[in-house]
Amino acid sequence: MTFKSSNSSSRIMSRPYIFRHLNKVRWVCLTLVFLMLVLIPLLGIYQHYVSASAYRNLDGSEKLLFDSMHALSSPFTMDPENDLDALKGTTWSGQLFGLKITDPLAIVGQMSAGLEVYWPFVLTGLIPILLTMFFGRFYCGWICPATFLYELNSNFALWLKKIGVYTGDRKFDRRIKYLILLLGIIASTITGTIIFASLYPPAVIGREIYFSIALSGFGGGTLFFMATLLFDIFVSKRGFCRYLCPGGALYSLLGRFRPIRIQRVVETCNDCEKCNAVCEFALNPMRDDFGQECNNCTACIAVCPQDALTFVVSLKDLDNQGPGYCSREYRSNSDERVNEK
Amino acid sequence: MKSNKVKRIFVLLQCLFFLIASHSSLAHHVLGRPSYSLNEDSNTPPSMAIETQIGDYFVTYMIFPAFPKPSEPGRVNLYVTRIDDGSILSVPVSFYVLDDKLFSGWPLLGDPVVPEKIGVQNVDDGIFRQGFVFKERGSYIIRAYFEVGDEPYEIDFPLQVGKAPAVGPIGFLLGLLILLLVSVNLVQRKRIARSKFQKEKNST
Repeated sequence: MTFKSSNSSSRIMSRPYIFRHLNKVRWVCLTLVFLMLVLIPLLGIYQHYVSASAYRNLDGSEKLLFDSMHALSSPFTMDPENDLDALKGTTWSGQLFGLKITDPLAIVGQMSAGLEVYWPFVLTGLIPILLTMFFGRFYCGWICPATFLYELNSNFALWLKKIGVYTGDRKFDRRIKYLILLLGIIASTITGTIIFASLYPPAVIGREIYFSIALSGFGGGTLFFMATLLFDIFVSKRGFCRYLCPGGALYSLLGRFRPIRIQRVVETCNDCEKCNAVCEFALNPMRDDFGQECNNCTACIAVCPQDALTFVVSLKDLDNQGPGYCSREYRSNSDERVNEK
Repeated sequence: MKSNKVKRIFVLLQCLFFLIASHSSLAHHVLGRPSYSLNEDSNTPPSMAIETQIGDYFVTYMIFPAFPKPSEPGRVNLYVTRIDDGSILSVPVSFYVLDDKLFSGWPLLGDPVVPEKIGVQNVDDGIFRQGFVFKERGSYIIRAYFEVGDEPYEIDFPLQVGKAPAVGPIGFLLGLLILLLVSVNLVQRKRIARSKFQKEKNST
């Protein structure tokens, strides 16, 4: 067996302390995004109460809503009736502090359904597109409101397995999701509707939360999302994101040549496999297999006891560097080579 | 130490419960301008205003009164203007009503959806007005249909008559599911982490 010696060390950034805690930051980020999706419609209702000067007509629970939203927003706004317009929408397409941001998949869907490029809309996707080109599929790991529930769900599946319930871990071809992206584009072109909005979990979740608060009821989208959770439990771990999500496919393509990526430092790696164990997308960080699927969630960095995973600036992954130099396998191979000499 | 941990988990679960339960208090408020008018002709703001785009048109839908009740008259106002020049649609608009029940229209699971025509309206002062009286409380869909040239336009809007149920079956299921996911992840997090490592070891 031959092992390639690492030439990565020159490009590896000295690992800042924060890297180990990025996974916690990510969870905070996911939670905040989820809470924002709940908060925005509540603020919308408060905004309408304000514009209708309705406070004295509200009943107890409505007054509670008014007061709590007032307490939350008053430090940031003097005129909620107009200022709160700066915070609208969902992760699919929305306005964040006045900045219009749209999911690139919504733009692709709109372009294929309308058969035209509407530049003002396309420009709202510029920030996510640029960020994806730099950080890869980071949206899936750091922003997507569905990821918040999917990760809880995959842990839940492990617990179910532990208590004896059958759970599935079937493997499919990862390229299926690219096919779904393509079929979605074709279907949008033929029907003139943005098909992705109905089968893209973050869009569905954003809409359903909005509806549940605004129109007091969940719709069919919630059932669809629950079906994807069941699919992940009983058919394939994180199966929807890995094999079926059209947004994941688009982000993977956009982030294929991302300059910021995770890399293994073979000199300090001890092949403990913890990185592989925590990788939600079942990649193989221990053998340098990150690819375009990696969403930079940093779970592998956080769990590594040797600090052998870090961010680097590189346009592609390293080939398999072989066993980590601190692993038993590497040491025994070295001994064999010494004995042969 | 242990009681502190249990206490923290309890507080988290309590917060989650209140978050889910708070939805019921918003049952009859929607993202439009809330109104406290008493009848459909009141000039106070409507209960709901939905704005949407379809093809070349910009459509605004409003309901009067604020909270339509069974056996009391209500009215839908529809404003349809072209996106490019703002001109008002001049062709008649047909209004239909459909039941908005769980699984309605789904093969095998639900009843077939049969739209019932409630009227055809011409534009009057820039507005298509359609009156209605519903005898039963429930969730309905108002469908507006018009044709411009050979192009058909069909838009569905929600309409709640009477009070909506506090938590529907899907909401209950979802609440239960989220509660389960969060509590298992919090209580069993160490065991779950151990299982991951064991699983990886066993697979290699």
